[in-house]
Amino acid sequence: MKTKKKDYSAYAFMLPALIIYLSVIIFPVGYSLYISLHSGTGVGGMRFVGLTNYITLFQDKIFYIALKNNLIWIFLTVCVTMTVALALAVLLNNKFRGRTFFRAFFYFPCVVAGIAVALIWRWIYNPNIGFINEFFRAIGVDFSQTWISSEKTALIALFVAALWQAIGQPMILFLAGLQAVSVDVLEAASIDGANAVQKFFRVTLPLMRDTFIMVIAILVISAMKVYDIVKGLTDGGPNNATQMLSTYMYSQAFDYNNVGYGTTIAIVMVLIMLIVIIPYLSFTTKNN
Amino acid sequence: MDGKAKKTAGMALKYIVLIILAILWVVPIITLVFTAVKSKADFFSGMSLFQMPENIAWDNFTNAMTKGRLFQYMKNDLIICCLKVPLGIFVEAMAAFAITRLTLKKPTAWFTFFLIGMMLPMQVALVPISIIYNKLNLTNTYFGLFYVYIGFGISNGILIMHGFFKGIPRDLDEAAYIDGASKWRTFINIIFPVAKPAVATLLITDFLATWNEYLLATVIINDNKLKTVPVGLMTFVGEHGTDYGYLCAGVLVSVIPVMAVYLIFQRYFVEGMAGAVKS
Repeated sequence: MKTKKKDYSAYAFMLPALIIYLSVIIFPVGYSLYISLHSGTGVGGMRFVGLTNYITLFQDKIFYIALKNNLIWIFLTVCVTMTVALALAVLLNNKFRGRTFFRAFFYFPCVVAGIAVALIWRWIYNPNIGFINEFFRAIGVDFSQTWISSEKTALIALFVAALWQAIGQPMILFLAGLQAVSVDVLEAASIDGANAVQKFFRVTLPLMRDTFIMVIAILVISAMKVYDIVKGLTDGGPNNATQMLSTYMYSQAFDYNNVGYGTTIAIVMVLIMLIVIIPYLSFTTKNN
Repeated sequence: MDGKAKKTAGMALKYIVLIILAILWVVPIITLVFTAVKSKADFFSGMSLFQMPENIAWDNFTNAMTKGRLFQYMKNDLIICCLKVPLGIFVEAMAAFAITRLTLKKPTAWFTFFLIGMMLPMQVALVPISIIYNKLNLTNTYFGLFYVYIGFGISNGILIMHGFFKGIPRDLDEAAYIDGASKWRTFINIIFPVAKPAVATLLITDFLATWNEYLLATVIINDNKLKTVPVGLMTFVGEHGTDYGYLCAGVLVSVIPVMAVYLIFQRYFVEGMAGAVKS
């Protein structure tokens, strides 16, 4: 009788990645769940408190402010960032001189560190001699603001800085999507008498459905995670006007040493993200 | 209006929109450069933002590099990148090789399992990592930092390598096995070299992501001697919040290596990203 020798080589190849992945991602996530049921500073003296942290969180006004800001951020990203990125992609999809340069140019802010971008904009928004107020003064318009230190304007000012940086990735994805729209179909539409606008809305956009879904998913996920630019520009201030779940989590866990509470915020962030990710995954796997 | 005139008008409109957007997008970069070359005195003299000073304040740059420790931060960041990026890619390639080409019971399940990391916000691992690192004395070590970086890069790396490996014809491995090559040899000598385009894309995007990473670095590193560039840049604000010339010089210097990498390898970004859509 001959038994076939089992082949374990696949597991051997996977082992290094698996060990790192389990120790950095999977185990800490489980550990986070555990910590979120405790109170204490993390260095010994953790006390089991059950769901107290979660109950406190759902009564915490700042949590709702942060959640609202994240939702506004998602809304702005999907509406504004996506529209500008799509417009740029359509413009840069035409053949003309300098096209490669413009693509590289608009993508460039993406490769700059979020913190560096935040610091550049901190200077642009400087209420005394920053670019924007100087500019308004130069053209004689009385529109000087304190931008990032005013509760009214801080979130929008922050979003503008983020927009400057974030346009490149969706733009490139849209460009790839536009190139996948076959020329034959567009020509057929022209022969049938469709004009450029009709062709764009009736042919190109529907054919780019998958690209749209991918871009929206990426933008929503990154809007939920937004951190560096907020940290570098306002750190959640003034008076929580730009507080996000990510900054609130960090300040609770590391500035105030409420590790249990901070971790609870992180777990809730994961749960909220699952609401976006599960439909996206089921959609993409169905398509494949 | 006849067709031709209409077309020209359309083209002109497109150019105008493009130029307006380009001007809006270039303002921050110009502001950065014009500020970086000004001394503190230039600001007090009420010089306009877009006026070049008579003497370029090179001091800003030398101060940022030495007194601001930017040179040290860049060295640290480079060490982390040189450890994280190649090791990470190799480990990811091995796993992707196992999933796409070796006998596994449920390859798709494994693949999906490895993708979970992409969906999770880093925040969810921060507290556990900092607790574990405190116990193991891994805070303020290069190893501690690049190890978690590899962990957080695994999902994306496996996704990209998986997509590429799937497209390599099976005949290639089979020919190697017939010639008596082991699985390891086949991976090292045949499959990994063929995947050069995917590796190149990953090298560059990983390098930039690692170079720019801020959140994990703040949690794991607080020793000034070991800080990476983004964490180091934040110290500029606290110490010299009012000296914008110095601050902008620091930001500019920190951006230059990134810009160099970007300009040299620019096509990999566009092609790499486009590839991700198709797969």
